Amino acid sequence: MKKSRSIRAFWSVLAVFVLVLSSCTALTGGKKGGSFVLGLVAEPTSLDPATLTDINSMRILSSIYDTLVRFDESGFDLKPALATKWTVSPDGLNYTFELRKGVKFHDGSAFNAAAVKFNFDRMLDPKNQYANTGPFPFGGFYYGSIKETKVVDDSTVQFILSQPYSPLLNSLTLNQGRIVSPDAVKKYGKDFTQNPVGTGPFKFSEWQHGVRVVVTRNDEYWDGAPLLDKIVFRPIPDEQTRYTELKSGNADAIVDVPPDNVAQVKADSKFTFIEQPGPHIWWVSLNMQKAPFDKVAVRQAMMYAINRDAISKDILKGTGTVASGPIPPSIKWAYTDDVTKYTYDPNKAKQMLADAGYASGLKLTFWVPESGSGMQSPKSMATAIQADLAKIGVTVDIKTFEWGAYLGKYGAGFGTDADMAAMSFMLDPGDPAPYLGLVADSAASAPAGFNGGYYKSATVDKLLHDALATTDQAQRGKLYQQVAQQMTKDVPWIFIDNQIQNAAMSTKVHDLKLHPSFYIFFTKIWMD
Amino acid sequence: MGRYLVQRLLSLVGVLFGVSLIVFLALHLAPGDPAQLLLGPLARADDLVRLRQELGLDESLPVQYLKWISHALQGDLGRSISSHRPVLTDILERFQATALLAGVSLAIAVGVGLAIGIFSAARRGQWVDRMAMVVALVSMSMPSFWLGMILIIVFSLTLGWLPGTGMSSPRGDGGPFDLIAHLILPAITLAAVPTAIVSRLTRSSMLEVLGQEFVRTGRGKGLSERQLIRRHVLPNTLIGVATIVGLEAGYLLAGAVLVETVFAWPGLGALLVTSILKRDFPLVQGGVMLIALVYVLVNLATDVAYAYLDPRIRYG
Repeated sequence: MKKSRSIRAFWSVLAVFVLVLSSCTALTGGKKGGSFVLGLVAEPTSLDPATLTDINSMRILSSIYDTLVRFDESGFDLKPALATKWTVSPDGLNYTFELRKGVKFHDGSAFNAAAVKFNFDRMLDPKNQYANTGPFPFGGFYYGSIKETKVVDDSTVQFILSQPYSPLLNSLTLNQGRIVSPDAVKKYGKDFTQNPVGTGPFKFSEWQHGVRVVVTRNDEYWDGAPLLDKIVFRPIPDEQTRYTELKSGNADAIVDVPPDNVAQVKADSKFTFIEQPGPHIWWVSLNMQKAPFDKVAVRQAMMYAINRDAISKDILKGTGTVASGPIPPSIKWAYTDDVTKYTYDPNKAKQMLADAGYASGLKLTFWVPESGSGMQSPKSMATAIQADLAKIGVTVDIKTFEWGAYLGKYGAGFGTDADMAAMSFMLDPGDPAPYLGLVADSAASAPAGFNGGYYKSATVDKLLHDALATTDQAQRGKLYQQVAQQMTKDVPWIFIDNQIQNAAMSTKVHDLKLHPSFYIFFTKIWMD
Repeated sequence: MGRYLVQRLLSLVGVLFGVSLIVFLALHLAPGDPAQLLLGPLARADDLVRLRQELGLDESLPVQYLKWISHALQGDLGRSISSHRPVLTDILERFQATALLAGVSLAIAVGVGLAIGIFSAARRGQWVDRMAMVVALVSMSMPSFWLGMILIIVFSLTLGWLPGTGMSSPRGDGGPFDLIAHLILPAITLAAVPTAIVSRLTRSSMLEVLGQEFVRTGRGKGLSERQLIRRHVLPNTLIGVATIVGLEAGYLLAGAVLVETVFAWPGLGALLVTSILKRDFPLVQGGVMLIALVYVLVNLATDVAYAYLDPRIRYG
């Protein structure tokens, strides 16, 4: 089909016009438009936040949903989101939230107190009509203290607790606290996992399983429309493939750059590499119910014997920093550097072992998972630990298990089979309470909880209990600092590292930041 | 033939029952369970108990199996534990991608393999023959994921000629040949081993046929080499190759797992691996049943093909 000369001329002029215009906006920055392709580590499991347990899926959902409160951009200070103001009663049992007015879900229905009540009733009440859209594995864990959600009026909602639970506010920033549209749940039922509707900066567009999840800009977003036209989330499970996709331009950014490729990406001027310490910790639990780790001196000797710096530098290639205690430094209000410190001193370790009666050495069994969420490079790290301990006359027998099997064994307790076992945790609520309650409290000794090494300290138990009861964050912070001081004295665990999360993006991408909670926020990102 | 087909189809039902039982037992008796994996370290004992109940895992094994099989017979394979989607929808959708990849690979394997095999047999002993067989041996020995990565690095990263992953352009701007472009590298990777096997087998099968009496008779009759090969040698050669093709279908369905992972191809193999790791029982059971069904049907088709290729074979 031949076009006439004048039509061709028109298109050429238009093309030039558009080119000039786009280069102008590129100079001013904060350009609107474009589709951003993000490479993820795995296929998302579901787009219903209440059903999720994997951080990979949770990362996507900050584009579609909001929570009542959120963290500020760079840390764990609470800021308003869907709630504008909140008060806590002096006895810590009533939390009242004033909700933002005029906010709508993507399907047009109104966000109000009834919607909030619907969300929490669905998650917490097994007899709720829509509880069959579950299960909600973490619902009870984070929000189980909520006895009742009350609609005070259209824009005021109240949580009534059965007992004081001070981490509640921080826990409301979590993925499970994201507010979904009641109308959509009623409409889709079990298929809501495939048809998400929230109040967030982007609306759900499509999900081609194994291929991509696409979200498009919500121009009516209450916090100001985001800049990108759309985001394409692509699952690329193989880490080498993820890296080549970034290099070939098929992905604009990827998360979790493999440690071995970090140096290459940093050196390549076509890409920007960002990293951010996260609320994560990797440690080795010691079995305190039997010899030799029933003796504190032997446990402390382990901390002197292991070259944790070398593990961070050589094995993790800088994707982890040495952990000084049980609480990650990124949770600033609960962290202190004033703890018992252990330098790398194998001679001292050997001496301590001899003094404890083990001059002729030791034989230990070490359980290690082959992989697992948050476990970084478990086998290489375990092998390094094994080598370090061999230098002081301790023979370590490593037994590896597939992740699913490993969780079962660890959760059942070490019994007499294991002396030590590796574990890690992501403290995404930016609050140590849920995690410490599960791994350090003596009431959580396996199999009741995940305190696999049977750590029992009356001091720590009391500190944890007191910290749950008070809502004064400064006061809580002091209590957790004391927990860290006690635990670095008792050494129930060998504290190894805090993971540094990373991402790499092409230079066309701007304002992509990693949040210390390991979530990603998409509102401000823009592309050339 | 009709009775034979009916008999084979009936035994298919038996095979599927057996497979379902074995998969069910393997999944449930292996350590680790979906509730534990969902909760990870955030697992308080009460939460585990309640979650197992919600997932229907607290009942005895025979009860669980009977519940599953009775639903399955009505076409309801349950819902995936992780996506809540009906298992049938999930596996059929992902299977299309695997079938496409495996089908194209099979076509390459048969087409190219036969061509090379015939070519080699016809030039037996010459250097092209020897070269072809050495190349085939090397191809057969290469791990598929390694070959895949090399192809991506060369053709996608360095030369930029072909896309390296996925089934379609991420931004949706691929154009009409997008799918074909995305198929090329993974299909070649997956076809490498079967092509080599088919070519070697074709060559030896054809040489064996060429050495037979009736071929000399044909030449004596005055048939041209081409007529001889096309009308007499080939059909007899193909019988030997047909068996392998049926078995290769099995390899392709299984080998697709590695290729799917390397190329981020959204197929059933990759889905099954992640589902097994998550202990997503309904999804694994449904997926393995589907693969078993396809495998048995492909072999049945191969056996039927025999009857056409070889008039001496009669069933029923």
